Amino acid sequence: MKKVLVILLLATMGYYIAGSYFDIGFGQPHFVQGVKPVKDIYLAKTVKPLTVSNAVTSIVVNFRGFDTLGEVTVLFLAVTVLGSLLYKKRHAVGERSVLFSASSIVTSGSKLLFPAIILLGAYVFIHGHLSPGGGFQGGVIIASGFLLMLLAYENYSVSHTALSVVESLAGITFAGVGLLGFMHGGTFLQNFLPVGVLNNLFSGGVIPIIYIAVGFKVGAELTGVIYTVLHEKGQSNG
Amino acid sequence: MVGTPVLFIAIPLMAAFLIPLLGMIWKELVRIVPGLVLTYLLILAINLLNHVLVHGPIVEVIAGWVPPIGINLVFNAFSGFLVTLMIFLGLLVWVYSYRFKRNVDYEPALKYFLMLMMLITGSVGIVLTGDIFNMFVFIEITSISAYGLTAFYKGRNSAEASFKYVMMGSIASTFLLLAIMIIYAQLGTLNMADIASKIHLMDPKLKIVSYIFFVVALGIEAEIFPLNGWAPDAYAEAPGPVGAAFAGIVVKAAVYAIIRYTYTIFDLSGSFSFLILIGMITLIIAETAAIRQEKLKRMLAYSSIGQMGLVLVAFGFGTKEGVFAALFLMLNHAIIKSLLFFSGSYLTYNSTEKKISEVNGMSKYLPITSLLFALGAFAIVGLPPFAGFWSKLAVLTAAADSNMILIMVLVLMVSVVELVYYLRVVNRVYFFKKEAAVKPQKPTFNGLIVMLVLGAIILLIGFYPDAVTGMLHKATNSLMDKGQYIQNVLSLK
Repeated sequence: MKKVLVILLLATMGYYIAGSYFDIGFGQPHFVQGVKPVKDIYLAKTVKPLTVSNAVTSIVVNFRGFDTLGEVTVLFLAVTVLGSLLYKKRHAVGERSVLFSASSIVTSGSKLLFPAIILLGAYVFIHGHLSPGGGFQGGVIIASGFLLMLLAYENYSVSHTALSVVESLAGITFAGVGLLGFMHGGTFLQNFLPVGVLNNLFSGGVIPIIYIAVGFKVGAELTGVIYTVLHEKGQSNG
Repeated sequence: MVGTPVLFIAIPLMAAFLIPLLGMIWKELVRIVPGLVLTYLLILAINLLNHVLVHGPIVEVIAGWVPPIGINLVFNAFSGFLVTLMIFLGLLVWVYSYRFKRNVDYEPALKYFLMLMMLITGSVGIVLTGDIFNMFVFIEITSISAYGLTAFYKGRNSAEASFKYVMMGSIASTFLLLAIMIIYAQLGTLNMADIASKIHLMDPKLKIVSYIFFVVALGIEAEIFPLNGWAPDAYAEAPGPVGAAFAGIVVKAAVYAIIRYTYTIFDLSGSFSFLILIGMITLIIAETAAIRQEKLKRMLAYSSIGQMGLVLVAFGFGTKEGVFAALFLMLNHAIIKSLLFFSGSYLTYNSTEKKISEVNGMSKYLPITSLLFALGAFAIVGLPPFAGFWSKLAVLTAAADSNMILIMVLVLMVSVVELVYYLRVVNRVYFFKKEAAVKPQKPTFNGLIVMLVLGAIILLIGFYPDAVTGMLHKATNSLMDKGQYIQNVLSLK
């Protein structure tokens, strides 16, 4: 009886809440009459003065770069917390919680694919301001390459120290570029480099630098997550 | 001017990324650097607060885009007061836990100090930001560190507490995003001042839905009654100093957010009575639950929830006196509840169950800690001449000024309940015989210093409340003056 009541209550609430979202009418011009939405300003300013071809990147890294710094910190913290939770349960290096041997097709195939995956990841984050993608996507692609290697080779190991150095240096680059902008332009994360020519690789001022740092950071962090979880000691054999 | 508000975020983030590297050079740096950062930030906060009290608010633009295009930080008397309070408490928590986990492995210590620093940074960010999505990001930073700190002692109970917190926190984030989505879909902006100036254009139905979503999401962090299921477990299972950080820093930030949405952003007519209602329910339920607790930290946690309810009631009056009382209460609660958590965790240091009955007769073995605990207990109940008296008096006068006699009566009745359960513990500490099984633990030097500082502040505010009331009045004025806030932010060119 109690459950039925709860379900009824939730259904009623859900109906009205969903109703209000349908009222907004996404996909049509849904802004209130008379307001000037910031999206138009973003689109206009992406080409000039920012000189970036990818509007998503200009919003993520420049207009709302402070949020991105925060999100990068969220990821960093999530990795820290995961490491802290699984600390006691970690094996000695080389041991795994999931032990199985991959077939020779997988091992030789992944050897072939690994450099290509890393290259694709690097391409995606280096060209973040020109083409779809960016630091987060490129970082995830790189981490997936390491996942492939970890699955294919039982004794493949990544140096924890190296990961943490890359992670820290990338984070310092992001915050440091922000502080340099603060010193040169007067506001945090402000662009202080020449913006170059639209659609060139070297354009957009500090945006590519920040996105490359984000790419390294996300790649290192997600690889660290995979590595930590793979080496977690299970309940049964611990 | 010596610095700008953005340093409150940039410096700790930079330090957080640096600490793992520094730890490779010398392991002690992991403990020292957060303290240095917090000390610097405290000096900066005090300087900026002095500047702001004289010259008016500082609005800081980020990435060179003026509001409403970019993100901005607002450091006015109200947010500056809270930031200074939070960083001060954060520094005390750091001093208290400097030797924490001294003899164990290096890695847990590194993670502990990182998470603690990020907890403080996230809360400071919530208070400083002038952008609703940016606030979401800082809430994420705060809550993820809080989950990690709750589960720091690896055990069944702390894992359960942390899991509960993670579930509720994720629901909170979802609601927050849904609310932000409605606002953006209607007004096309995320800047608080810009939203506040355009909110009257919004469809009233959507306005109410988004306000409710905001309150639900932030209420989970602010421990409002039906949403606070995580709080007692998290307080009881987290390390002692972290309990103080939750009560003094995280909850304050969440309450700030609710107040900012209610006072500045939304213009709903019934929202003040709504605050009084939920505050009152939270207060009564939490205080009656506290009296039935057997574990000391759970009791303190329920008391903390109750105090937050009272803060919301005071904010709900909507008058200057009410806001003043609420701010005074927040200040006192931060200081006194931290003292109670600090001294309480030494009183039950070596017991596994952390039961109230295990503090029996501790006064003979830990005279200073017991005295400070008693001081905290008297102060939080509101006995004169301690700090808590003035804030409770302010709440009652504010209620009387708004002709809310029923609220006054209820608050006084709940205070009696509060008195009963605190005096019960103090009675046990002083007049009961010690149980043989429990071994008292002498506080460390750092811990003792921190507790003495907090005790001294309680006495100082108690005997000389004028030391803080001037600042609180200015903070009150800055919160109440919505037009001024909007103008300060939007007039930037």
